[in-house]
Amino acid sequence: MSSQIARVGGTPLPRRSSGARRATASRTAGRPRASRYLYGAIGIVVALIWIFPVYWMINSAMLPNVVLQSKTPTFLPFGGSLDNFVAVVSGGTFLPALGMSVVIALIVVACCLFFAFLAALAISRFHFRGRKGFVLAVLFIQMLPAEGLFIAQYKLMASVNLLNTVLGVSIIYIAAVVPFTIWMLRGFVAGIPADLEEAAMVDGLSRTQAFLRITFPLLAPGLVASGVYAFLQAWNEFTVALVVLQDNSSQTLPLWLRGFIQASVSKAIDWGQVMAASTLVAIPVIVFFLFVQGRMTSGLVSGAVKG
Amino acid sequence: MKRKLASVTAIALASALALAGCSTGTTAGSGTGASTDGKGKTITLWLAGGDTPDTLRTYLKTEFKKETGGTLNIQQQDWGDLVPKLTTALPDANNTPDVTEVGNTQSPTFTNVGAFLDISDMYTELGGSNLLQSFVAAGKVADKNYTLPYYFGSRYMFIRKDIWSKAGVAEPKTLDEFNSAVATIAQKNPAGIANFSGFYLGGQDWRDGISWIFANGGDIATVKNGKWTATLDGAKSIKGLEQLQAIYKTASKAPNDAKDSNQYIYLNDDDAIAGATAADAATPVSLAAATIMAPGWAHWSIGTKGEADGKVTRTWDDNTFGVFVLPGNDGKPAPVFAGGSNIGISAKSKNPGLSKTLLKIMFSKTYQEMLGKNGLGPANSKYVDSLGSDEFAKALIASASNSKLTPAAPGWAAVEASNVLEEFFSKIKDAPDLSALAKEYDAKITPMLNAK
Amino acid sequence: MTVQEAAEGLHSASPSPVSASPTAGPATARVPRRRRVVLTPYFLLIPAVAVLALAMGYPLVWQIITSMQQFGLAQQFGQPAPFVWFDNYARLAADPYLWTVILRSILFCFVTAAMTMAVGTLVALLLNVVGPVVKVVIQIAMLLAWAMPVVAAMTIWNWLFDWRRGVVNWLLTSMGFDFQDHNWLQNPLSFFFVAMIIVVWMSVPFVAFSVYAGLTQVSGEVLEAAQMDGASARQRFWNIVVPIIRPVLGIVLLLQVIWDLRVFTQIKLLQDAGSIASDTNLLGTYIFQLGTGSSNFGMASAVSIFVLVLTVGISAFYVRTMLKEEES
Repeated sequence: MSSQIARVGGTPLPRRSSGARRATASRTAGRPRASRYLYGAIGIVVALIWIFPVYWMINSAMLPNVVLQSKTPTFLPFGGSLDNFVAVVSGGTFLPALGMSVVIALIVVACCLFFAFLAALAISRFHFRGRKGFVLAVLFIQMLPAEGLFIAQYKLMASVNLLNTVLGVSIIYIAAVVPFTIWMLRGFVAGIPADLEEAAMVDGLSRTQAFLRITFPLLAPGLVASGVYAFLQAWNEFTVALVVLQDNSSQTLPLWLRGFIQASVSKAIDWGQVMAASTLVAIPVIVFFLFVQGRMTSGLVSGAVKG
Repeated sequence: MKRKLASVTAIALASALALAGCSTGTTAGSGTGASTDGKGKTITLWLAGGDTPDTLRTYLKTEFKKETGGTLNIQQQDWGDLVPKLTTALPDANNTPDVTEVGNTQSPTFTNVGAFLDISDMYTELGGSNLLQSFVAAGKVADKNYTLPYYFGSRYMFIRKDIWSKAGVAEPKTLDEFNSAVATIAQKNPAGIANFSGFYLGGQDWRDGISWIFANGGDIATVKNGKWTATLDGAKSIKGLEQLQAIYKTASKAPNDAKDSNQYIYLNDDDAIAGATAADAATPVSLAAATIMAPGWAHWSIGTKGEADGKVTRTWDDNTFGVFVLPGNDGKPAPVFAGGSNIGISAKSKNPGLSKTLLKIMFSKTYQEMLGKNGLGPANSKYVDSLGSDEFAKALIASASNSKLTPAAPGWAAVEASNVLEEFFSKIKDAPDLSALAKEYDAKITPMLNAK
Repeated sequence: MTVQEAAEGLHSASPSPVSASPTAGPATARVPRRRRVVLTPYFLLIPAVAVLALAMGYPLVWQIITSMQQFGLAQQFGQPAPFVWFDNYARLAADPYLWTVILRSILFCFVTAAMTMAVGTLVALLLNVVGPVVKVVIQIAMLLAWAMPVVAAMTIWNWLFDWRRGVVNWLLTSMGFDFQDHNWLQNPLSFFFVAMIIVVWMSVPFVAFSVYAGLTQVSGEVLEAAQMDGASARQRFWNIVVPIIRPVLGIVLLLQVIWDLRVFTQIKLLQDAGSIASDTNLLGTYIFQLGTGSSNFGMASAVSIFVLVLTVGISAFYVRTMLKEEES
């Protein structure tokens, strides 16, 4: 990966066009029909396996609790309803938690991408004293187990008066996600030759135009892929939130979901409502994914290859 | 107690004094008396889990406003996360809750490190010797009161009368009778259900299983000159362990790793809607045990299935279901593990005066009786009658009368958190030598008990 | 400030006449236009370094100090913490249980990471050969699985494997096996089997997408040429495809190893559902139990530092290769 950065940085070749990439797909056309069907069948089975738990969650969310407690599973939500969803949302705590999570996720995604972009520029376009140390630190910092950190994180946030705040929890998340984002983005940044942009400026484009028309499109898949990663982390994180957001009015969705599950443990667990709650937590992510899906795959592709 | 059990019932508390809430200078200990000057101020109360019903919370807020003009901010913390949250927030003067509920078994750990304010000066006023004494002891260090009981709960037996009578066994009067009765039921399996338990006792369910050690006179640990020693290998404890081993082998089909949650589902008949699935039309899929041991609130989840507003309801039916207190061999109820929680003021609270006023409201006759009416045992024994007089209230009061707490050792919370007792209990069933097993775990538990 | 402004800032800053410094090594020669700018990269790093230093640096330093102290609940409540230097580490090293947990964690990590890589690569290969419709179906399934919040996913998985009402037991029993009331979590081996299935399920989408991305870089013409020269599918995979996607495989494998070695949430939530904790602890849950559970923060910190060193050790080979390439 890093060797590629050096190589790309040194010989400013444009990245393979997506057209060339698409051409590889045509390869499949020549395969014998039988094996295509076989692969297709295997593909469907794989898809079913991965989607089953997701399907099961939604299925259960539509069923009344009585049916769910049966020993024989009900596979189709016939006669299902949205009652569980209504019950969960009307509890009154879901929407504030949703708001909190959305704000945190957006802050984390925006800051991460920006910080990581700058850092990626630094390490892929410059050689400077401390560069190797920085790359190593970024790599190793991900290896520290987080389970023992909660006292330190609490003390940190208390000392700067950021407990129970969006900003406080966002800072911790950004720090947790930014190393990986830097890694991902530096491949992209290295892949964009600075000369391209400058050549465009020679042709009469302004710096802004050059950036918007030349650099940004090349960078976009990387930003999307890293953004998705940052979003997922911020959306799902839960142990830091537990310690730093102790106030009931500043819960994020994972805290809300866990509270919901725990509250129902001391009574009879209402699986239907728990599943409805889980579905509600997952839906925004799914929407976000579908929104960026096309770009993300290509982003992951080039990002991963460049490392 | 701590987790689930927390929601139950029981004993004693406060004097009418608190009603008025305007007592004059009780100064002692920490030096600050209760304050009623709360205009523009807010104090925070942490409640654990959802055990305290909403009506009680509203009452506290209203009453606090009335008494002091201040605002009471109630935050609910999950039982499972309470310890890490107390660990981080209590030492932090800027973010500590002013008053917090704490599990009765967690209380010694925190009082021993000075997390709570000395409230010895209020002890008499809040109920004194009428307060549930084993809980008072859990909040006491060197004769000073730091936390006081909030509410208590207790465990008793829920049975399927129909299965018991089909198996031809009568309600036991002694522990020995109980042990053999549940073994007989499992062996006869009158309902003909696979893996049927005469008594469902989870392999890791030490909170219920510990009663057999207590009932035989054994104990988890004893203290001598301030040093705690685990006593699972004492002769009396071993006798209890032997009975437990027999139950695990012959009466219970519960998995080795089952804990003390949701046992009631094993006592109910078919949870499925008849005809919802072809194979399930009439099979009693849920019923899997003739007896369970559970906190009193379990009775809300046990009964004949019905439906209201699309929700499943369970209606208790005296012909099918019954309750009794686990009997001891000495004519008294067997000691069960007392559940419940304590309440204390954070040592770092910036509003100790207002916090004391809140405690007075919580220990007032009105509030104590509100606890009782909601099935939570009031801390002050004077108001236990508020629990009512149905069979559940009776069983609760009777079982609590001889209930026992875990050792008030400084390291007790660590013992619970390390799951060492769950592990020990899970090994009882297949242990070739119970004494050796008990010694092995004593050696693990003793240092934890004394660690500060 | 937007990304764009930042980028502009960079460009306008670059020609500024900051004097060349000897610290700009020979490697700078490759980007001659930047040679004279030595402060710019440091400015660019400020936000990332600042946030890392604040939110990770402080806890890291706290953890290192605490790992050399006797630090329990009393210390958390204000008692002075006596320095014991390396006593905590010495006690850990002498504790056979820690070594059991370490061995267990490494085994779990390697097996799970290997499974994830294998399945993920196979799915990626599959994506490469199926028709467009099936491809989209697989991609959507993977995305949905990837998007499931961990707490939600664990709730479902716990329930799928529930010993009384779990769908898995129901399926196996309907297929004629005796899995009625089978308890998967009771036996540590089958506990880890279930845990592995869950972790693999959660991690495969990332691996599959990344490897698939790598595969699209493999030229179809080269493969066809090789096929005409008589190379078997296996030969083509190992001799042409693998070398090209090696960088992707390397980085993804490293990430899987890092993540699987410190897996926490999945194991903790499975333990809450069943199993005997001491038989199923991995490093993550062990640290949690020592720290959050037993308030032995000194020891918990020592184990954390130990895990950090262990992970660095395991990945050292890869990192060294990477650094070599970096320098070349």
